[in-house]
Order: sequence, then structure tokens, then C-alpha cells
Amino acid sequence: MRSPRVPEMATQEVQPNETLTHLKTESDTLKTKLEEERAKLHDVELHQVAEKVDGLGQFIMKTRRTLKGHGNKVLCMDWCKDKRRIVSSSQDGKVIVWDAFTTNKEHAVTMPCTWVMACAYAPSGCAVACGGLDNKCSVYPLSLDKNENLAAKKKSVAMHTNYLSACSFTNSDMQILTSSGDGTCALWDVESGQLLQSFHGHAADVLCLDLAPSETGNTFVSGGCDKKANVWDMRSGQCIQSFETHESDINSVRYYPSGDAFASGSDDATCRLYDLRADREVAIYSKESIIFGVSSVDFSLSGRLLFGGYNDYTINVWDVLKGTRVSILFGHENRVSTLRVSPDGTAFCTGSWDHTLRVWA
Amino acid sequence: MSGKTCSSNSVIQAQKLVDQLRVEADMERMKISLTAADLVRYCQEQRRHDPLLAGIAASSNPFKDKKSCVLL
Repeated sequence: MRSPRVPEMATQEVQPNETLTHLKTESDTLKTKLEEERAKLHDVELHQVAEKVDGLGQFIMKTRRTLKGHGNKVLCMDWCKDKRRIVSSSQDGKVIVWDAFTTNKEHAVTMPCTWVMACAYAPSGCAVACGGLDNKCSVYPLSLDKNENLAAKKKSVAMHTNYLSACSFTNSDMQILTSSGDGTCALWDVESGQLLQSFHGHAADVLCLDLAPSETGNTFVSGGCDKKANVWDMRSGQCIQSFETHESDINSVRYYPSGDAFASGSDDATCRLYDLRADREVAIYSKESIIFGVSSVDFSLSGRLLFGGYNDYTINVWDVLKGTRVSILFGHENRVSTLRVSPDGTAFCTGSWDHTLRVWA
Repeated sequence: MSGKTCSSNSVIQAQKLVDQLRVEADMERMKISLTAADLVRYCQEQRRHDPLLAGIAASSNPFKDKKSCVLL
């Protein structure tokens, strides 16, 4: 955009343009430097370091429970710390709490919106959080009285300017971390609904987040439609690391159990492993025959296995260290939209567009 | 006037990008040969605590059925 050359304005117009050019040069130089620094550390591949590790035997995992009750696509699920209860949310606007051992429904809440894309269990097991197209994250305390109307005790905590894509309690029931289609993540105080910190940096919708294991400190990772995975400092709001190697939306991110790495799943049909201390991608889990996007990923307890739920209705199980596929699981009759390993690692649960949830072991 | 506002917004954005890149460039990084060895070590140490790897008896896994089904 060029403005007319008026002599007294000339000096004022030139400065912003010069500054802009100078800044652009500096950012290009920094980006090149970053790439060079990361490349210097790429002295070996993960699977090479893992050559001496024993291969994994055959895996036989089957559906052990099928949870039926949602009237439409299951979009999200989370385990309770008691390792048996599960909360799930659906396009039909319902949030259901299940006893996965018995498959009984313990609670059900109808949200005021459809497409409840996010749900999470509170660490105490006494509440669940959920949200979606209502742009909010609400917390429902779970009552022991089955007849009590849960909706009456609902507490609105987070407010975004676009859909809620993911939510997670931090170490306690007191704080919730959210991600949104508005391109931001935010940390909220549950009791007051106050915004404690906001995280800006994604250039498009943020689709997923995961908190670092508590031993490794106050960080979390987020993934978005800008193909980036960002690692954030929860106290300062600063983005401390950023990874951009996926070729499409990142639908799921999950920390490696030690906290030194994280995995991602993307619409580009690959899962990838990023090492935080080397500050780079160290493995890609893909096959030419796998062409459908990954919706969700999670690690087994030791971090050796990576489970991925795919849009082609399957679950692929990967050997994290060797980079090979260990198993492929069939059962769902539509896209797998969500996947979480149980807190004690004895099983994992998937949710699907086929309206059901399955527990595998 | 709108020309100036646009360019100063671009300057603010460009400055933010440079600041962010400086933070990232300052990071201390380790070689993959070292970090990968740690990842492998963690897996190996935790292996026997991983029920899905080590396999646990049907009787102690609440999700695995203890009895077998008989089709009549």
C-alpha cells in the first residue's frame, strides 16, 4: 500500500518500512540459525540407538467392553483416576459417566449445545468438565445421588470466542487448561472463573493439548491447524519451543511418560515423536498403506507403545523405539475420534463416530 | 493514515516474531545420541511395570474375562 509522497510525511513513512525490512531479515536469520543448530544435533536416528533393544512379541488385544448409549458420534473421552470410570462426550450434546467394568451408566448430562468436543475428569473424581460449540468449558460436580439434576450445579469456567477443542484439569480440581478454535489456550481458576493466563502464538485453531507429567514442571504442549506443536511455560504464558514438521492439522498431542518427549497425530496420516531436549522431531510413524488422518494418540505406561486412532476406523499400535508397527486393531464401524490409555496402563479406551466406546486389553 | 496503522501493526507482529525466535534460538540443546539413549533407558526400566507390554494374567486384569463363553 503506497501513500502519496508528501515531503513532510516522507521521513515518517520510510521508518516503519525500513524497520519491517530489518525485522524480516532478522527473523529469517534466526530461523536459519535455528535449523542449523537443530541439524547439528542430528547425529543419529532413534531407531539406530534402539537396535539392540529386544523386539516386541505378538500383540493380541481385543475389545473387552463396548459402551453403548450415545445417540451420535463420540468426540472425546477421559479416564477417572480410579481406573474404572470414564467420561465421554458426543455430538448429540450428552456427556455420560460410565463404569467401564460393568458398562453401566452412572451419570448423564445434556449440554445446551451439540458437538461437545471436549471432556475431562477431575483428579478427585468428583467432577467433570466439558464444552464445545458453546465456546465454554463448564464443570459439573458429580453427585452420589443418581436422581439429582447435575445440570443445576453447573459452573461456567472458561469463555472463548470460538469452539472449545480440548480441556484438562491441572494437578488439582482448582484449575483448568483449555484450547480453542479461537487460536488460543488459556488457564482458568475453577472457583472464580478467572482467567489466570492466556497463551497466544498459534496462527489458527488449536485442536489439542496435554499437560507435562507433574514431575517435569509447569509446561504443556498444544497442537493446531497451523501444523505447529507448541510447548508453553504455564506461569509466564511464553511459548518456549515450537515444532513445525507435520504437513497438516495436528489433532492430538501426548507427552511421553518421562516428560522428555511428546507424540503427535495429524491429518497427514503420520504420528511423530519430538524430543524436547534435542529440540527436534526424532521419529515418524507411518506406512504407505496408511493414508487416513490420525485423530488421537496415547502411550502405554512405559512409553514403548504408541496407540493411534485413525479416520479409517482402525487403531495402529507402534513400537516407539524401533519405529515399526506392531499391530493393527479392528472393531469400530466408523472413525476413531478419541483414545486414552487407562491410568494404570491395563487397558485403553477408544471413542468413535459409530456412537460407541470400546475398552481394549 | 490507515497506511501508517497497517504498517505499524505489521511492525508489532514482526517484532513479536523476532522476540519469539530469539527465545527459541537461545535454548540449550542436546545431541540425539544422548537424548535417544535416555528414551530407550526409560522404556527398558519401565518395561516390567507396563501391563500392556508385560502382559498380566486374565485373573488380575479387570477387563479380561475370567470365564470362557460357551456357545449353546
